[in-house]
Amino acid sequence: MNNEKVLSLESLIIGYEKGGHNIPVYMPVNASGRRGELIAVIGRNGIGKSTLLRSIAGLQKPLGGTININGKEIREYSKTGLAQNLGYVSTEVVKVNNMRVYDLVSLGRFPHTNWYGKIKQSDHEVVMNCLKMTGMSALADTLITEISDGERQKAMIARVLAQDAAVMVMDEPTAFLDITSRYEIVHLMHQLAGEKGGTILFSTHDLNIAISQADKIWLMLDDDLKQGSPEDLMLEGSFDKLFTSPEVRFNTDDGTLTIKKEERGSFYVEGTGSLKYWTEKALSRAGFSITCEKTPRFIRTPSDKCGMWVLVNGNSSREYSTIYDLVRELTA
Amino acid sequence: MTEKAEIQYTGSTGKNIIIFSVLLVIASVLFLLDIFMGSVTLKMMDVFRALFTFSEPEIEMIVLKFRLPKAITATVVGIALSISGLQMQTLFRNPMAGPYVLGISSGASLGVAFIILGFSADISPENLRGMGNWSVIAAAWAGAGAVMVLMLWLSTKLKDILTVLIIGIMLAGGISAIVTIMQYFSHETMLKAYIIWTMGSLGNLTASQLNVMLLSVAAGILISLLSVKRLNALLLGENYASTIGLNVGLSRFLILTGTSILAGSITAFCGPVGFIGIAVPHITRLIFKSADHRILIPGIFLTGSSIMLLSDIVSQLPGSDNVLPVNSVTAMVGIPVVIWVVLRNRKYQGVF
Repeated sequence: MNNEKVLSLESLIIGYEKGGHNIPVYMPVNASGRRGELIAVIGRNGIGKSTLLRSIAGLQKPLGGTININGKEIREYSKTGLAQNLGYVSTEVVKVNNMRVYDLVSLGRFPHTNWYGKIKQSDHEVVMNCLKMTGMSALADTLITEISDGERQKAMIARVLAQDAAVMVMDEPTAFLDITSRYEIVHLMHQLAGEKGGTILFSTHDLNIAISQADKIWLMLDDDLKQGSPEDLMLEGSFDKLFTSPEVRFNTDDGTLTIKKEERGSFYVEGTGSLKYWTEKALSRAGFSITCEKTPRFIRTPSDKCGMWVLVNGNSSREYSTIYDLVRELTA
Repeated sequence: MTEKAEIQYTGSTGKNIIIFSVLLVIASVLFLLDIFMGSVTLKMMDVFRALFTFSEPEIEMIVLKFRLPKAITATVVGIALSISGLQMQTLFRNPMAGPYVLGISSGASLGVAFIILGFSADISPENLRGMGNWSVIAAAWAGAGAVMVLMLWLSTKLKDILTVLIIGIMLAGGISAIVTIMQYFSHETMLKAYIIWTMGSLGNLTASQLNVMLLSVAAGILISLLSVKRLNALLLGENYASTIGLNVGLSRFLILTGTSILAGSITAFCGPVGFIGIAVPHITRLIFKSADHRILIPGIFLTGSSIMLLSDIVSQLPGSDNVLPVNSVTAMVGIPVVIWVVLRNRKYQGVF
């Protein structure tokens, strides 16, 4: 695979102009992406993720610095030329009555068709192929007002694929979607970046998705933008800086988040498998810490799914039929 | 499944050809019917003879000097207003937009009000009755043109297209207020002449006026035809349209210019004919079940002209010497459609 930088930002200053003054929203950005990479942009609300993505997509004029796509500054491209190299999808929902999925996707051919927008046989083949890649072939003839939000977002991705651009910028493509569609779409993006050799830059608030799926992360922290593989950033401790509040803690060991609770004491859980795992999970959610050594007060998980949870306290013991009852009793 | 869909997908070209043919027949029949109807009862054969060969000079005069220009005017008005309405609905992504949302008809009415109400002392009301007077046409055109230039300038300054829409509506309101004040202080006969102008009329155009109108409408239609691809892209909204390679500023300029020429010319020659511009695009979308302007614009040539011809036929009140104001008839055709669109939109929550 080609190793050149398809996308590179140099000292890019993003922001807006107000009353003749330039108001930057973030420090100068230096970042890059190579062919075939799925890059996640992460940062807190209001840090400027959308502004950054909109600037790259050419929707907002940068205040300074350069954005290079395929080695050329975006301002040197013609409108059509830029669209042939860069596509964009956002959370903005397109709802037009009487428009079919096929029509929507074929609009992606806009920078490739003539003045009249004629869809030639070759364009038709590209559109059908993009529908196939996104699993939307069967819905080609369905109105876009009659499909689900997740399907519509897939159609929008098919449209941007039909644009045949090397770089695809997606601003929170999975927001407003249910968990299933969210994973489907990220999986699709991952596939597309790999198979088609495109570079996909997407912003998300879902750390789990970003860490597990992205090849690279642009982490927008308050003092700087860090880029690297999720694992490198994890080991550097960069993710910790996302969470300035003392109540939320990021576990660098497994990449999960915990919300700090008042300490209620520690428990030992006796048992095996998923019963032990989920019991421990419930206890730590309730603010107890889990220990590996047997304590005088401990919990014995049931041996099978019909059994009872036993809270042993010295010589006395009580039984509970669900984890819910157990936790309620402990926290009461 | 996907393989099959790939082979089966052919679009709806075949179906559209049938719809186009049917609409063409309907439009042609209505066109002939419109010539046939009027205060003087003509025989069908006489009309055909007058149109294609020759017949008695009297009948020939009625058909060629009055009925034919009127039918042509109705056709052109229907097409021009519907195309500008379609363009405004797409540009503003608003189903309630029409040819006059930019304040064009208000501008025209201000121009006409200045001529009819303002200088009433110098011009006798007989000269100004209704349309067909070059000074009225020129005044209407100047008023519409002034509003158009203002709105075009604003549209290049303003980022959000909805702001343009709001300013257009506000401007229209402001101008109507001025016109109302002028009406309040004007003489009765002048007031009636002005009111009649606002009711719209398809008759009363001389051959030379019809030619000027045809030429300017042709220019507006040419601009619209050149904008079909842009209009399709704008269905996605200006942001997406821009990222698929559309020059949004140039497109706004082209579309607003085309609309202004179309709506401005029609208003200058026929008065502010209402509702056609809002209703016909919806009817056309419904008939073709499409949002594609490559289909809708040619489709509107047939639907727009048919509905305007039908309105004109109804306004003749078959079997009577009276002619209803054309605006009342178009309103009666248009309002049910607009209500239907509103009710339907609540269900789909789509843009159109």
